[in-house]
Amino acid sequence: MHLRRRRRVTTAGFAVVAVALAACSSSSSTTSTTTPSTTSPPSSAAALSGTLTGSGSTFQTDFQEAAIAAFRAVDPGITVTYGSGGSGKGRTDLSSGVVNYAGSDSPIPASELPDFKGKKVLYFPVIIGPITMSYNLPGVSSLKLSPTVIADIFQAKITKWNDPAIAAINPGVSLPSTPITLAVRSDSSGTTQNFSLFLMTAVPSVWTLGSSSTIKWPATARAGSGNGGVAQIIQSTPGAIGYVDYADAKASGLHFASVENSSGDYVAPSAAAASAAAAGVTVASNLTFHAVWASGATAYPITYQSWDLVYADQPNANDAAMLKAWLGYLLGAGQKLLPELNYAPLPASLDAMAVAELSQITSM
Amino acid sequence: MSAVTQVDPAIPAGSTRALEARRPLGDRSFHILALGCGLLVLVILVLIAITTSQQASSWFSAEGFKIFTNNWNPGANQFGALAFLYGTAITAVIALILAVPVSIGIALLLTEVVPRQWARPIVYVVDLLAVVPSVVWGLWGILVFAPWLQHIYTHIASGVSGVPVLGPLFGQPVDGASYFTAGIILAFMITPIVTSLSREVIATVPAIDKEGAYALGATRWEMIRGAVWPHSQGGVVGAVMLGLGRAMGETIAVALVIGSSPEITSHLFAPGYNMPSVIANQFGEATGVFRAGLMGLGVLLFVFTIIINMAARGIVERSARRHRGA
Amino acid sequence: MAVTAEPVKADLREPAGWRRTKSRIATALMVLSFVVVIIPLGFVLYTVIAKGASVVGWSFWTSGTIPPNVLPLGTGGMGAAILGTLEITALATVMAVPLGVLGAVYINEYGGKGALASVVRFMADVMTGVPSIVMGLFIFSIWVVHFGFSGLAGAFALGCLMLPIVIRSSEEMLKLVPNSLREGSYALGATKARVTLTVVLPAAIGGIVSGALLAVARAAGETAPLLFCILTVFTPNYNPFHGPDTALPLQIFSNASSPFVGAQGRGWGAALTLIAIAFILMIAARLITARFVRYSR
Repeated sequence: MHLRRRRRVTTAGFAVVAVALAACSSSSSTTSTTTPSTTSPPSSAAALSGTLTGSGSTFQTDFQEAAIAAFRAVDPGITVTYGSGGSGKGRTDLSSGVVNYAGSDSPIPASELPDFKGKKVLYFPVIIGPITMSYNLPGVSSLKLSPTVIADIFQAKITKWNDPAIAAINPGVSLPSTPITLAVRSDSSGTTQNFSLFLMTAVPSVWTLGSSSTIKWPATARAGSGNGGVAQIIQSTPGAIGYVDYADAKASGLHFASVENSSGDYVAPSAAAASAAAAGVTVASNLTFHAVWASGATAYPITYQSWDLVYADQPNANDAAMLKAWLGYLLGAGQKLLPELNYAPLPASLDAMAVAELSQITSM
Repeated sequence: MSAVTQVDPAIPAGSTRALEARRPLGDRSFHILALGCGLLVLVILVLIAITTSQQASSWFSAEGFKIFTNNWNPGANQFGALAFLYGTAITAVIALILAVPVSIGIALLLTEVVPRQWARPIVYVVDLLAVVPSVVWGLWGILVFAPWLQHIYTHIASGVSGVPVLGPLFGQPVDGASYFTAGIILAFMITPIVTSLSREVIATVPAIDKEGAYALGATRWEMIRGAVWPHSQGGVVGAVMLGLGRAMGETIAVALVIGSSPEITSHLFAPGYNMPSVIANQFGEATGVFRAGLMGLGVLLFVFTIIINMAARGIVERSARRHRGA
Repeated sequence: MAVTAEPVKADLREPAGWRRTKSRIATALMVLSFVVVIIPLGFVLYTVIAKGASVVGWSFWTSGTIPPNVLPLGTGGMGAAILGTLEITALATVMAVPLGVLGAVYINEYGGKGALASVVRFMADVMTGVPSIVMGLFIFSIWVVHFGFSGLAGAFALGCLMLPIVIRSSEEMLKLVPNSLREGSYALGATKARVTLTVVLPAAIGGIVSGALLAVARAAGETAPLLFCILTVFTPNYNPFHGPDTALPLQIFSNASSPFVGAQGRGWGAALTLIAIAFILMIAARLITARFVRYSR
């Protein structure tokens, strides 16, 4: 009968779909093959295959994406994807096991440590770069700012561009009476963390908002998501000032100010100034350090860094091997991509320490 | 006439139990399947309530009534959410103030003014407004509309600075991305639904009342006020409440144009924040009590919209029932 | 005494003066409110078409990987996002439409005037008003937490959004099928299931399909539920049951807050694509209504 036949077909269809669902969900995400690749460069032994996912710092985004594209020629079997959602999101994704590695501009804060359930996390520094004080003031193409002035601006104590405090350190520049619009981060950000750390270190008596990946900004601040979001606010709002990493600021065509460093010199942000800042940092045994407010006449005071975080203990050998290959690339040939992306490469000694740490990635 | 079913004397005459017992298996299983699908709606709603509240429980227990304070500072583990409740309320109110007169105007236009053949294209145009996805409203809003609005806001702000009531409302600080911009975009988005529902309600006004008003010499406006409005009042209120529910829950367009500033301010042209936007923007990186807090805002949003929707549908149904006999 | 009243002259002129002006003003306001609606709509459509038309093209739609935001226009495209949208929306439709139609069948055919049916109908109406972000949070709590991000989770969320819409529109269509059809089939000895499946549903199929298409158009444009369920990535994912995915609305969302011209341009292109998809579905729904709906109000 017509109805019975149709019902048989639909039951068969459901059975097929159910079996397909079961099959798909049980297949593992990484397949490990060790077939030698025909285009394998001399450095990699056997071609690995699988997917790596990372997420986190938007500071690293441009570097990650450029490196992912270049890495496809080196190890075509490994597919890497990086979703930028802020350093906080990266650490969250790593602690929930959603990604293989996290990009973070700051070490895991004490409040987030319990999420990692005591498992050891390795820090691999990958890039150094300046945080610019980007602004949008038609007619003003060069600006000098001191830490005190910056702190007052971002606490809404200075609200107009022609405030005497700004005018005092910018003789000869005609500042308009435009109100200052603050552009800050809405997401949990390592850039915010390092920017606030700079203010807390340089002018602790003036800066009262502390240092954290989210800050309680003044009520008039407008927030954007990611370094790109802040750059967009500054781009479209005359009178805006905000903190954006150098690579994004340059790519968006923003103007940035020269900032006074610990030696009293006003330094413009650049890769060279960032390298100067990174040259003298003291590195802890787990490769964490702070490059803000570094000493040195040519050092840019708001320089920061970013790490890729991975668990020391990987669930399987293929994941461990892929991570070693990928991180090794970032620390090796990938560093050559940095200058044209407007980042500063790691100092050689730091790079060597990071490469040595790769051996600590093991699988159970 | 041999195969007559024996009537079971235990079953009272006239009952269908004997017939029910003889239903073929296929028929009964189809009935159960349909019943299951119908109940699916209830099951899903209950599950939403349970699972989201469960995930949000640590926020409620950690903060208690402090969730109603204006103290949102995840870095310092403080999660008072008053700023978001305020923002949701303000943007929804702005959206309603802007959208309701327009929607009712269009609904009246369609039912009372235009001839039948023009009604269809006008309805198509209003439906087009509904076809534009929320994210495209947001994209246009932040890249095109907000910068343009910022100029207008700046002019208005300089005009009202110092004036007693208008100053705090419309004065500095101004920003293209603000409560008011979000309210305007929300108004665009809720107009189709309020219009179509109002139109349905107004169309149920019996023609005899309208013709009677005309026969007594009323102008069109007097007829609307005297014959249409009393009948459709309740239904239109219901339609407005549905628009309110939609405005409260709209996420992406608002997240892009509201400015993301978790503070309470009377300045409508200043950046702000509301419940769905903060969930969308900050959920990805939230853990522990922070995530529970965002989930909790979702729970509050769910509860508010359910209550508003139930009340709205109840009002619409009741007013439809009252006038059906007329 | 005979009352010789003079015949009262009925004043048949239009009411003059202020009353007429008031009515004219009211009519003008009503027309104005329609104009007020056309302006932003026209503005949005014009901007999307103007900015998106120069970006879209065959390579834009089929290019595999979504390029980094910094890169200018011309490189890469949104192919991965379009694939994701099609996959996830198709999955959601396959789940929501049969369940929704069966739910409508229950309310209309089996429930009748019963209490349970009216409760289900009422709650389906209420469910259409649940914010999409709450659906996303729901699927996150119940699925993603245990099974991870995947296109399937996104499909669940979109399916939950579509379900009440499909139920209500299908129910309206089923209500319009005349009872004489059902009674005739019963008279021929068919069971209720048989009647529903072979007589009622085919009679209402035009309206049901058209309503389902509108629900699909709504779901294709939803962003908020996907935010929590699929974790935006930049490469196409051919397996919606496993692994993070991407979709057009998500890409537009992330490109909207980008300062780079290339990314913004790709956002406009994606927006034009999305509007085109929704528009095509809407037109298809209207065409089907015009040609295939047998019974209407």
